[in-house]
Amino acid sequence: MNEYLDNARRHIQRTVISGCDSLSETLNMTAMFASTSANQMLNALMHLKALLLQEAIEFIGLSGRANVVGDSSGATGASGSGSRSSESESESGTRSGQPRLVSVVCGFPKDIGMYPHYSKGQFGEDAWFSTSTDQADALGVADGVGGWRVYGIDPGQFSRFLMRSCERLAHAQDFEATRPEHLLARAYCNLLEQKQPILGSCTACVLTLLHDSSTLYAANIGDSGLLIIRDGAIVCRSMEQQHHFNTPYQLAVPPPGQGLNVLTDGPECAALLQFELQQGDVLILATDGVYDNVSEELLVRVLSHASGISDHVKLQTFANSIALMARSLSFNPSHDSPFSLNARRHNIDAPGGKPDDITVILASVV
Amino acid sequence: MSLLAYDGGVDDGNSSDTEPDELIDFTAMLMEQRQHGDNDGDCNDSSSWLHGDGDNKLQSQSLDNQGYCLGQYVLGVLDFSSQYGIDYSISYTAANVIGRPTKFPAYGDYPETFTMRTYGDWWQCAPSSMREIQSQNLPTLPTHDFIVVYFEKFVVPTEVAIFETFNPGGVVRIWAYNITKHWTCLWEAKSSDMIQPRTRSNYALRDSRRFAPPLKKTNVITKTLRIDFNHSQLNYYTEIDAIMLCGRTVSMRSMQQLIATASASASASAGLQRLDGGSREVTSGGPITNKLRTLKFQPSCRENYAAKLHEFINNDLSQFLIENNLEPGQQLNSSVSQTCLTDLPFEILLKILSYLDLKSLFRMGQVSRLFYDISTHPLLYGELSLKPYWQLTNSKLLCTLARRATMLRKLDLSWCGGFGEVSPTEFKKFLTQRGDNLTHLRLNSCKFLNASCIETVGIVCDNLIELSLRNCAIDPPLLNFSCLANLKNLERLDLFQTAFESELLLSMLEGNRKLKHLNLAFCGVSVNMDNVATHLGTYNTQLVSLDMWKAHFLSARGLQSLARCQHLEELDLGWCLREATLGDSLHQLLSNCPKLKKLFLSAVRGITERDLVHIATLGKNLEQLDLMGILNITHERVYDILVHCTKLQLLDLSFCDSIMDRDLDVIADWSRLFNVDIKSSRIYNAR
Repeated sequence: MNEYLDNARRHIQRTVISGCDSLSETLNMTAMFASTSANQMLNALMHLKALLLQEAIEFIGLSGRANVVGDSSGATGASGSGSRSSESESESGTRSGQPRLVSVVCGFPKDIGMYPHYSKGQFGEDAWFSTSTDQADALGVADGVGGWRVYGIDPGQFSRFLMRSCERLAHAQDFEATRPEHLLARAYCNLLEQKQPILGSCTACVLTLLHDSSTLYAANIGDSGLLIIRDGAIVCRSMEQQHHFNTPYQLAVPPPGQGLNVLTDGPECAALLQFELQQGDVLILATDGVYDNVSEELLVRVLSHASGISDHVKLQTFANSIALMARSLSFNPSHDSPFSLNARRHNIDAPGGKPDDITVILASVV
Repeated sequence: MSLLAYDGGVDDGNSSDTEPDELIDFTAMLMEQRQHGDNDGDCNDSSSWLHGDGDNKLQSQSLDNQGYCLGQYVLGVLDFSSQYGIDYSISYTAANVIGRPTKFPAYGDYPETFTMRTYGDWWQCAPSSMREIQSQNLPTLPTHDFIVVYFEKFVVPTEVAIFETFNPGGVVRIWAYNITKHWTCLWEAKSSDMIQPRTRSNYALRDSRRFAPPLKKTNVITKTLRIDFNHSQLNYYTEIDAIMLCGRTVSMRSMQQLIATASASASASAGLQRLDGGSREVTSGGPITNKLRTLKFQPSCRENYAAKLHEFINNDLSQFLIENNLEPGQQLNSSVSQTCLTDLPFEILLKILSYLDLKSLFRMGQVSRLFYDISTHPLLYGELSLKPYWQLTNSKLLCTLARRATMLRKLDLSWCGGFGEVSPTEFKKFLTQRGDNLTHLRLNSCKFLNASCIETVGIVCDNLIELSLRNCAIDPPLLNFSCLANLKNLERLDLFQTAFESELLLSMLEGNRKLKHLNLAFCGVSVNMDNVATHLGTYNTQLVSLDMWKAHFLSARGLQSLARCQHLEELDLGWCLREATLGDSLHQLLSNCPKLKKLFLSAVRGITERDLVHIATLGKNLEQLDLMGILNITHERVYDILVHCTKLQLLDLSFCDSIMDRDLDVIADWSRLFNVDIKSSRIYNAR
């Protein structure tokens, strides 16, 4: 029944989308163009952004913040490609000699009309955080499960709160960088401690890079995921956890009385990962909106050029192009997406891309 | 440190914006450069009072080459007595005062702030409330809770700002921990200050505030503050976003000199003198001294003053009183009436002295040998509370008291012994000497406690009726607690915010069948509350009050076993049951425990409409009811409860989302009609 509805929705979407086919075609072109080499047009745009960032750095540097965060809405707005919001972040002031992450973020909400304004840490029902302490860098993404809208619950609130808690917990005094699963568990517990109950569920993937040992630790629940690309090949990936097709593991706080009907996977079922990073490695941490639409080969092909980039502005172009690619492919009805391949494997007919919220965090180890 | 201190005299205003910025780690601090230029007068002022003070020349010299004004936010929390959140969380915990304000100009109930466990006097009215030991020791505005925080740099404080974002007005005292290892009170609220917010309107202040009371002029050098709170006037939980300490930095060299002189003088003074000296510093003389001052009575008795004063009282006092138009009859101990205080029978004197607080008792002992003998009488030390003198308590004082308190029954050492002032060895010695008759022992927030101290308590104090170990060592779970299983007469056990082993608690519950009051709030994840509840239902049916706030793994099964404790008057299940479905358990509990006066069900989200009907019909004696965060309570159910629970005084409906905004006015009316204090953050926001 569900699958039938899903298909029906897909058909409707496809008819709507076919009208915008030409637009998505150009988008696609732009994306591909941008990805193969850091092309001039985007570079020109990014130059503008770099100026903005430079100002931001100077300004924030004066007031003494360690993290530099620049909203690059000016640059993306100028591109006119529907890339509404992207975010770049760089960590400055870390010690030399030890590996650190240069990370940038880009993404799109599925339905721009529903989220007309950009707010930091959020793309639709997706949420992310990126922070850095003396001890470690921490990144994370979470994908709010959209089904809760039926219950009158904003699915984005859950993922947003989880990520915000992770970020605050990473700055707590007793933060253990080697245990991202504790970070996730504590963030989940913190969710339960709210007077105003935050209901819903989400998938989540959190990683930490310990500066001292250059080891990456990750904890993953559900179908968001992490890829590490070294020398043009995937050297490490997080495990996808699914109950069944299109139903990932999820952290959940169900509404009272619904506890038995809802999938609730505790933070203890997080899949753990430990990996020794090298300089030049590229990390991509993204929600299923990316992995369901962009094949891994394509990701690898694009990101192998991003190796060793320490300039966050350059890195941002890669993040933008991946997000843009995922976005355009997700609305392409004829795209043979990883999602549709997967669906076919489960005897479900779901051709084309899978429109979803898209969040990409790209980090390069320098 | 010396890097930071630049010569303030050279260029005051302009360079101050940039120079220190480069040198200081910004992660937890904010530099607030004051423009020195425009408040020259202030500078002169401050140096004049420093010189005027005069008793410590070295300190004033060192402050002459002081650096600059520095405003800094909290770097870390050293200690606190209570918090609303649980320690692994980041909501409503003490650690939230660290750093700059996150919410400050906004007003509301924010999880990003530090919140304490209680508000108002509701906890004092509850059946579980404890009578203070030696209550004459308490100041007019007693401290209910405190937090100790530290900053990065030592400064001479000029301002302490507390950012209160919800229900401001709980702060009553600000203490600074001197570099010379003494606590100095920088500011103390008067009782008139406290009543102000309430009389202004029925509702408390509804704006956040940056509370920066005028500090006493001192020259203490500090980077550690203690903020004392009194909740009695608070309408609801107070929330603190951040604390800022502003002051002048001092150079390392002068600080070292200071420490050297201080340690030299400290070795000369005894702990007993500090108890006395401290009082003189704070009150600067009792009422008699003040009276004499108004009479311009200033005899010069620098040397041999005890003898001269004695002479004066015996010979010249009557003459003096007549000259100053004073009724001699008013003076109780004047020689005119020919009866002296010392003429009274010993028992009467003892009775009179028994009303004195500890400080006065010590001062009394310095009057004469006779008074010394009376003031050290063991009967006066049957109950001993050092909690109000936490800042003066040290090993020496404990030693002195051990000599006097041979008949000690009740001891309250709460909050004492921080910063190593009391050594565990000294405490154990005290306890072995005087502990065997103890019936009441309170050791809340005693940081010196270690496993062997607890062992001593278990072995020596086997007559204990009340044991309170609130907020003692969260990890590692203290407690080779095993000796506590020796205690068999306990009626009250308070383990609020203290980690313990499950097995120990279960065996203690089994051993202490007369247990009446049990507090297990915040007891950590290692304890399965269902097992505890089953034990309580089996062995401790005399139980009157039970606090399980934020305990884990309690389910409907546990609640059912609790229903066997028929004498329950107070039950706090806040945040315990979470999303668990209650089934029939709450109904059973309510019908078996008709005496329930206080029932806290904060965030027990599994409560259904039917449960609320049961509360209304069965909770005849309810006085306090907390339904915070229960989603499916409607205004009909509220009305039901108000009509049926006639003794109700407090009803917390905060975050009950099914109550529509349009009903809030009605509920506010009911609050007046039924004379029930209904808490709802939205009622106050709407009006």
